[in-house]
Amino acid sequence: MTQAFLIVLRILLTALVAFWAYRLWIGTTSWTSRGIGMFLSILLIWQIVGEPIVTP
Amino acid sequence: MRTFRTLLWLEHRRSWVWAVSLLTSLIFWAWGIKQVLVSDIAARVGIRSSLLGAAAAIGLLVLAIMIGRLRAETRNGQYQVMLLSPPSGYTHILARFTYASVVAAVYFVAIGFLYWWIAELAGIHFDAVTLIELILGLPFFGMAMVVFPMLAWVLLLMVVVSSYRLAGSGWIPGTVMVFGSGVALGKLGEIMARVAYALPGWRIFRHALGAVVERFGPIDPDVSMEMSQVIYQGLPIEPLLIMLAVTALMIFLAGRIWQEVEA
Repeated sequence: MTQAFLIVLRILLTALVAFWAYRLWIGTTSWTSRGIGMFLSILLIWQIVGEPIVTP
Repeated sequence: MRTFRTLLWLEHRRSWVWAVSLLTSLIFWAWGIKQVLVSDIAARVGIRSSLLGAAAAIGLLVLAIMIGRLRAETRNGQYQVMLLSPPSGYTHILARFTYASVVAAVYFVAIGFLYWWIAELAGIHFDAVTLIELILGLPFFGMAMVVFPMLAWVLLLMVVVSSYRLAGSGWIPGTVMVFGSGVALGKLGEIMARVAYALPGWRIFRHALGAVVERFGPIDPDVSMEMSQVIYQGLPIEPLLIMLAVTALMIFLAGRIWQEVEA
């Protein structure tokens, strides 16, 4: 896989998780649920964008 | 306290079929152990131990399903009386967790006892200290590290998903919880590996090696050295404390969400 493909994939995945985070924020009246949703979404985004891209 | 006892009784009324089925399944596993008749004694002990490992894994799955039926019960209306009742969300969550934990404790202590039985069948006679470590110490360590956090996580997952039920399907919170928790567990594992053995380890099975040598004679020096090192170092206490703290945090968060949503 090329580096460009992996970068685009990361952008798309980040956008997907960011959309989920938005839905998690507006979908409940519970602040604790929102907090957990945001924490886990940030963790997922960190995992998606934080790892260095290694191509052969 | 009285409310908590009433909730425990309600939990028992809802889940006794699951609990009794799980505990009765141990008879099947004990029967299965007796069916292993391989002539090589080491292979026989290995196969029997693997069977008990499978029993533990299946038991964990059944317990997770038992504690995670909250959403289905809420949907079916079984919880409507409960939701309108005076006990706090924390009490509801704690009662459900306590009931599942007690069932888990009985189940895993019995599995520890079956491990002792396997050893006895193989002619390895452990002393009283090793027996207590096998049926109390090791099950407690395993439950604190795996079973309690798993049960608390399933409970939290169901409560989080339920808190989004007005917004439609719960697949988004469910997906984020599952994948996000996987990442969080990886990070937690790194932290636990870093801090492990900062405190003195919990040394159990100190007399077990002697009983094995007594039965089978001197064992391979390399294996003996590895076993001695594990026995000398003991089980790390820090991951145990971290997982117990994480369990308490997840129970608190589940109770907090219940309070916020159902108040």
